[in-house]
Amino acid sequence: MRNKAEIVIIGGGVIGACIAYNLAHKGMKDIVVLEKNYIASGSTGSCGAGIRQQWGTEMNCLLSKKSMEIFENMNESLKVKRDIELKQGGYLLLAYSEKEFKQFKENIKLQNSIDIPSQLLTVKEAKEIVPQLNIDGVKGATYCSTDGHANPFRVNQAYVEAAKRKGVQFYTYTRAQDIVTQNDEIKSVVTDRGVIETNKVVNAAGGFSKEVSLMAGIDIPTKSERHQILVTEQVNPILKPMVMSFSYNIYCQQIPDGSFVMGYGDPDEQHSHNIKSSWQFLEKMAKKSTYLLPFLKDIRVIRQWAGLYNVTPDAQPILDESDKLKGFFMAVGFSGHGFMIAPFTGVLMAEMILGERLSMDIKLDVKRFEHDRLILEPSVV
Amino acid sequence: MRITKHPILDFNRGKKITFQYKGQEITAYQGETIAAALYAAGIRVLKKSNKYKRPRGLFCAIGNCASCYMVVNGVFHVKTCITKVKEGMVVEEETEKGDIID
Repeated sequence: MRNKAEIVIIGGGVIGACIAYNLAHKGMKDIVVLEKNYIASGSTGSCGAGIRQQWGTEMNCLLSKKSMEIFENMNESLKVKRDIELKQGGYLLLAYSEKEFKQFKENIKLQNSIDIPSQLLTVKEAKEIVPQLNIDGVKGATYCSTDGHANPFRVNQAYVEAAKRKGVQFYTYTRAQDIVTQNDEIKSVVTDRGVIETNKVVNAAGGFSKEVSLMAGIDIPTKSERHQILVTEQVNPILKPMVMSFSYNIYCQQIPDGSFVMGYGDPDEQHSHNIKSSWQFLEKMAKKSTYLLPFLKDIRVIRQWAGLYNVTPDAQPILDESDKLKGFFMAVGFSGHGFMIAPFTGVLMAEMILGERLSMDIKLDVKRFEHDRLILEPSVV
Repeated sequence: MRITKHPILDFNRGKKITFQYKGQEITAYQGETIAAALYAAGIRVLKKSNKYKRPRGLFCAIGNCASCYMVVNGVFHVKTCITKVKEGMVVEEETEKGDIID
């Protein structure tokens, strides 16, 4: 194992791998990525795999739009061995109250102002896009045809392979145990396989972002909570877009292999690192999804799993260098939508780390939480 | 082949019936599962795998795996190892993932 590196990235998920690739692409040498399990073993590999640009804050909209542009060309730009399974079947968002529909109208205005091709739909128009949809109680909808899905494992692996070709060293099954600092500077990262001297560390630890920050003596306001998902057996394509509702609290999408992937956010979920599946989720999910899309009643569930959302108080990520510890970078707190904004996050973080001018103005610093100037993301499941 | 004598179990076969498999008439006994009747008739391949179209046959025989999925009377993904055969049933091999019937 190397005992010296220009930078150590903690986390081999899509965020860490993407930052590593972009740094190497820009010419940085001696990049090490530490992953305590295997590639995509954490939040990346357990995510819902959707890619949505219909957000309620400018930051989330811009990050997801720029990321979608990268997803669209990823097979070529990363010279992937296995197709990333991008499917742009759109996202159909359902509003169940006038208040929610009003919020949707504002969201659409914002999205259209930055060229996201989303549109406001009547209930009738929503039914035309998904004829099987139960429209009871639906007040209106929005739709963006370029939203969709990609395979998180393949995207993660594609970044790892492209980064490796550029000389990045990945150490899997290698756990970061401590970050040694002296006079507000980083000296080294202690792992269970040895010590790596370095002045720069990236916290890309997903569900364990707080714990990794605390190794460096930095406290950040991120918390982890379990989100559960189930997947059904495969059938011929029948559902084109992701169907989603914040108030009814559901997302459901048919992925390219023909299975349906669905989940909801449990409002009673406690902050923890628990990723066990529950029968309560299975039962409630089945009820919710068959009400909205009755044809699902004849399809078998084949598997359930759970992963961690790493949430911040405003449901937007922290992309920043610590002001307390030089060289300590954070790409954490993605609040359930890290996968879909990973490609452009990697670009921005590489620019930030190399001290370049950022290709987009971002207001995602960690200090925003101290100064009470939060812009809350209204559109999360 | 069917077991006719068993040291512990008794076989009370139901009456003889027939059903269709790929246009071919198969004889079965009432009370048997579709897969059992096909197996007894010498049919070993029940479906092909989705991706590489490799043959799949009776595997778990208790309704857990997806190896015996067939199209029965037009319905896809029927677990033939736990579905009893009926007079005149039309059983087909699955050639695709199958449509949902509403």
